[in-house]
Amino acid sequence: MGKKELILQKLREMLPEGAVIQHDAYTSGVAFVARVPVSGIVEAAEVCDRGGAYLESMTGLDFEDTAEIVYHMNVYEPKSRFSLRVLFPHDEKIPTLSGIFSSAVWLEREVREFLGFDFLDHPDPRNLLLPEDADFHPLRKTFGKIAAYRKREEIYA
Amino acid sequence: MPKPIAPPAVDRVYTLNLGPQHPSTHGVLRVLLDLDGEFIVKADPVLGYGHRGHEKMGENRTYKQFMPNTSRMDYLSGLLFNHGFALAVEKFAGIDVPLRAKYIRTICAELNRISSHLLWFGTYVMDLGGFTPFLYAFDDRENILDILDRVTGSRLTYSYCRFGGVCQDVDETFLEMTKTFIDRLRSRFSDYHNLVTKNIIFIHRTRNVGVIHPEQARQFGVTGPNLRACGIPFDVRKMEPYELYDQFDFEIPTGTNGDALDRYNVRLEEMEQSCRIIEQALARMPKGGGYLNRSVSSRLTPPKGEVYFAFESARGLTAYYLVSDGSPHPYRCHIRVPSFSNLHVLVDVLRGTMVADAISILGSIDVVIPEIDR
Amino acid sequence: MGSFMASEWFRLIVGLVIVLAFSQLNALFLVWLERKVAGHIQLRIGPKEVGPFGLLQTIADGIKLVGKELITPRSADNKLFPVAPVLVFMPVLVGFLVLPFAPHLIIRDMNVGVLLIFAFSAFTVLAILAGGWSSNNKYALLGAIRSVAQNVAYEIPLLLAVLSVVLMVNSLQFSEIVKAQGRVWFVFVQPVAALIYLICATAETNRAPFDIPEAESELVAGFHTEFSGMRFGLFFLAEYTNMFIVSAVATSLFFGGWQGPFGFDLGIPGIVWFLAKTYVLIFVIMWVRWTFPRLRFDQLMNLSWKFMIPLSLANLIVTAIVLKLI
Repeated sequence: MGKKELILQKLREMLPEGAVIQHDAYTSGVAFVARVPVSGIVEAAEVCDRGGAYLESMTGLDFEDTAEIVYHMNVYEPKSRFSLRVLFPHDEKIPTLSGIFSSAVWLEREVREFLGFDFLDHPDPRNLLLPEDADFHPLRKTFGKIAAYRKREEIYA
Repeated sequence: MPKPIAPPAVDRVYTLNLGPQHPSTHGVLRVLLDLDGEFIVKADPVLGYGHRGHEKMGENRTYKQFMPNTSRMDYLSGLLFNHGFALAVEKFAGIDVPLRAKYIRTICAELNRISSHLLWFGTYVMDLGGFTPFLYAFDDRENILDILDRVTGSRLTYSYCRFGGVCQDVDETFLEMTKTFIDRLRSRFSDYHNLVTKNIIFIHRTRNVGVIHPEQARQFGVTGPNLRACGIPFDVRKMEPYELYDQFDFEIPTGTNGDALDRYNVRLEEMEQSCRIIEQALARMPKGGGYLNRSVSSRLTPPKGEVYFAFESARGLTAYYLVSDGSPHPYRCHIRVPSFSNLHVLVDVLRGTMVADAISILGSIDVVIPEIDR
Repeated sequence: MGSFMASEWFRLIVGLVIVLAFSQLNALFLVWLERKVAGHIQLRIGPKEVGPFGLLQTIADGIKLVGKELITPRSADNKLFPVAPVLVFMPVLVGFLVLPFAPHLIIRDMNVGVLLIFAFSAFTVLAILAGGWSSNNKYALLGAIRSVAQNVAYEIPLLLAVLSVVLMVNSLQFSEIVKAQGRVWFVFVQPVAALIYLICATAETNRAPFDIPEAESELVAGFHTEFSGMRFGLFFLAEYTNMFIVSAVATSLFFGGWQGPFGFDLGIPGIVWFLAKTYVLIFVIMWVRWTFPRLRFDQLMNLSWKFMIPLSLANLIVTAIVLKLI
């Protein structure tokens, strides 16, 4: 059993029924997706950390009705990427993962400045790429010219 | 090997502003160094001087319009980014690619990887004070640029790949030039080894310098040659084979210590592996069969949903994360760039080293700043 | 009047004028040579547009430098900053006074010639320190600090190497030392000392691979970061003139000065022998610069304190013992 399967097993035990969906065909580039509540993200990340995964990427998505953060994790094995997804209201603060993965420090700084999602107890809440006095969030759909602002269910049926 | 120093009294520490206009920060990186004498107490990279908002641009452009943007992030391996974006959208929208086009793209991508590594080789030795290998490497790189210039029409910021192929077929001269170049490069490797690899000063400057431990690499998400130098054989071309990489015979070079010397050796060996891939591709490339799938609409609309497509650029694992709402514009276009994590690990690695080593380590990591800033 | 023409003063004045002219022309030529050598080593051709073979390129560059504004940083030390470039050039000029170009072409054949030349070259480091410190720039200061540490470390093995030659000849007079090599050059008798001298001389002149005080990839331009126009030009000229002096001293101490090998002078005048040998040595120093990467600061120190100084001391002791036995 690979590291990915072990993590999958642990996450299954931790999360409620139906929260973990497997994609065996690997069509969207992940082996499985775990829907994690805001309160459980630190615990889920710890499971991944103990399982030998690294935090590959962190993306914020801005929908009209909700905000979402997608954590892409990977272990150094063939086709073993998986993602954790957290849904939360725009104004809610998310627990930081910087205590678990060092890479989260910069990734969260980037998500914070570009999308305006705040992190609870982040060790270094400065802007990373934007000017230090920038108070706007360019990747919010309310900023600048956009093609469409959609609800989440319009994209993920 | 300088030993980590005890935290000094506060009044002994002074700040050195390395960059953004410094000969060795390769672009517009600025690092605030807290120094005790010549020893680094704390390094704080300041980013964003090259931020152009590619992700926002991606949301306002059609998929095809975004293609030229891709090569402007990592301008040293622009064709690889190009290639990756084409692959991501092809996977997303289910587009077929003619076999000949796949071979052409593989050859060009690997040529671009070699050119990127050559440039790194030159600038890295220059960071260490050796100026001559820089021009030798540029002399070789010039050949690649000439080859790619003939087929793509550009030398640095390529926009060669299309969804379903490439924009222009290659001819016999291209194949001939590529073959000649591979032979030439192989003969040059011995020069490089004599001039640099076996040089005692070079070895002293790189061995046990800037060691990245595997655990450190995992914590910071380091990928690419830097990760492989720590001994972890992780290469997207092998782990999640895309295009034709599962059909070629090549190896993943790895190191053992994760120091600058290992990173150097891994990159030099990777150039040789790229040569092998190109040779196999040249031998197997079909003569006909078209170079472009012409049925692709220029305003193509992938189905609703998302795709995360990872590929191996010259610097490591790069990925496009595209979310589509069924319109011609991506709803979200995120790019996972390898230099971002590779630079972040410096914060840890630089602590306790000397200024001279900071330059050497920064060079050995091989970061392209506009790629981080996006 | 006639007595003045024959006097020591006249000799000095004429010598000074010649030295000034020669040192400048020589530096201009060396800069051109460096660029040509670098070019050919690097698969380029170097300067070629201005004058025949690009010979006038450095003159054009010099004119450009003279025409440039002399910028003094606001926070720089007003008195020391403009003086530093002059300070760096003076000791270099003094060195020419005792160099034995040919049997009768020595401006002042002092009996302490060797001592004088090294005493004055030690002065250069003071000027570099003044320049680096007075710029009030962190890169310049780091460069100056490195320079002082480096010069102190390399002066010792350098002098010890020279001392073993002096011990053999029993004189500090350049002409005596050269004459003592009539049959065999000292490089064959004292190969270790010659090697140590060449390495230390490269370090003393801050040339690659020991160019850490001005390591451009680390410290931008080191101690002369803030100097512009002809002030920078003086640092630059001093570097090349210094290179000539150390090579000329090496020629006199180890390579037989104005004499041909093994007593055969082949009818070639002494000055030609002397200059030819000096320029060959300079070429070697340039060759090394364009081939090797740079040492790190602590490695540079280790090389001197842990390797060169013990070696040169051992060499000196062996020389003394052998001389006593003979």
